[in-house]
Amino acid sequence: MTISPHIFALIKVVVLTLFIVFSCLPLVQMTLMSFSSTLPRPNAEVGEFTFANYTAISTNPQLRLAFINSIAYVLINICVTVPVAIPAAYAFSRLSFVGDRHLFLAFIAFRITPPVVLTLPIFQLFSQLGVVNSVFGIALAHCLFNLPISIWILQGFISAIPKEMDETAFLDGYSRPRVIWTFILPQISSGIAVTAFFCFMFSWVEVVFARILTTTNGKPISMAINALFGFHTDIGLVMAVTTASMIPGAVLLFAMRNHLSRGFKIGRV
Amino acid sequence: MKARRNIGWLFVMPATIVLGLVGLIPLITVINYSFFEIFVLDARYWIGLEWYEEILGSGRFWASLGRSSLFSICILSIEIPLGIAIALCIPRNRMWVGIALAVVSLPLLVPWNMIPSLWLGLLNPQTGVLRYILPALGWPADWKASVPHTWAVLIVMDVWHWTALVTILCYSALTTIPTSHYQAAAIDRASPWQVFRFIQLPMLRHVLLMAVLLRFMDSFMIYTEVFPINAGGPGGATTFLAVDLGEDIKAFNYGPSAARSVIYFLIVLTVAWLFSRAQGKLDSTENEGAA
Repeated sequence: MTISPHIFALIKVVVLTLFIVFSCLPLVQMTLMSFSSTLPRPNAEVGEFTFANYTAISTNPQLRLAFINSIAYVLINICVTVPVAIPAAYAFSRLSFVGDRHLFLAFIAFRITPPVVLTLPIFQLFSQLGVVNSVFGIALAHCLFNLPISIWILQGFISAIPKEMDETAFLDGYSRPRVIWTFILPQISSGIAVTAFFCFMFSWVEVVFARILTTTNGKPISMAINALFGFHTDIGLVMAVTTASMIPGAVLLFAMRNHLSRGFKIGRV
Repeated sequence: MKARRNIGWLFVMPATIVLGLVGLIPLITVINYSFFEIFVLDARYWIGLEWYEEILGSGRFWASLGRSSLFSICILSIEIPLGIAIALCIPRNRMWVGIALAVVSLPLLVPWNMIPSLWLGLLNPQTGVLRYILPALGWPADWKASVPHTWAVLIVMDVWHWTALVTILCYSALTTIPTSHYQAAAIDRASPWQVFRFIQLPMLRHVLLMAVLLRFMDSFMIYTEVFPINAGGPGGATTFLAVDLGEDIKAFNYGPSAARSVIYFLIVLTVAWLFSRAQGKLDSTENEGAA
């Protein structure tokens, strides 16, 4: 049985459209609620269309701080993860050393370790290091899952570069670190962008570490939202904060589209 | 063949130090705690393997393990094929790629603690967007009392949340296929299924292995999203492994929660090992194909 290409193309469009509708359904409800007044206010009825929830975000110092905290810890996390991951990815891609496969296995095991397993000791350790209730603590804790995945992604990108290029550079008298800096880095720029994006994506929305590490200070957006729940929850404000929290990611996702669609290969070790 | 040089350790040293700090040290602490009876952290005494015997000898652990396994099987059997299908449906046109990828991935950007709230809001019989459609589909207002309905909500919610990750990974692997492969297939009059089976699927294998690993483990240990939906109920029917552990930690049962953590980490280690075996096998079949 053959299906004509036109019908096949039509099926594709229909499937994609249905999936997009499914993806957007809860988000549509969220956005609608964020623009409606859900608690009685002096100048608006319940259920009325309003921008009040969004103006409330900009006037509430705690919420403003939460946005700054979230951006800060994600940036710190990326700034730690990527420079640490690049040499490691290079080593896994190009060099063979005693225990390389076992080390990679250990890294992967840490990536898939659920945060809830390590919450208690990480809290104790970080209290002793003095990084609880600050953005540094969350940024460091999130390395647990971001670092292995970054090494994995970057390693695929480095493996895609022909080895002959390194060898030519060695003959010209370049050392390994200089080869990475001068030749490898420019060629994996889109890999670095993809890696940073994945770090952002897994880190921005994580809540288990964020919750235990910020009991008093340094609360990120997710915890600031939690704090809004109470006896009289202004659900419209909650939805507005959630909607606003998705904007940086959406912008980043759109900016990243060409890197993602240029394709990256996740390879072997 | 890679050059066999231990200089490689120098390059992985920074990563090893960071992961040693946030991964290995906490893990050793947990292993240590799991052998003690602890009232406060300063006063504890050695009880050996007692916690392990208690946990492994209880029906509760095995029931949760069974529930988590069933949940992961459901999630993988839906999300992986669906993720591939959506990746195949994404248009080749440059502008639409960006828009389709961005819109499909939006659920990945929602803070995890808000995901159950969004779905509970959607199902709310007074204010939810679905309030007119749901009764027509036979969806009961008191769905929280029903095991199949609660499971359905959790599965649909997870599919909504994570299918996009599979899609992104697959899509980017698909774009590495050279157009000449498709042209050759067109000359041979290959059917869409044959194109998928012999050109696209082989390219997806490595990425799919990663997607399966991430989705398996994250659904097996699902925690944040489950509890607010129905508090592990009705009657414990959605109490998964991580929910059990979370309850222990909240009750400050240091010893039992540490022993439970160690058991879970052993599961993680087994999965990681199976995964690396699978990866090794994939490489050797590919090398044979190339030779």
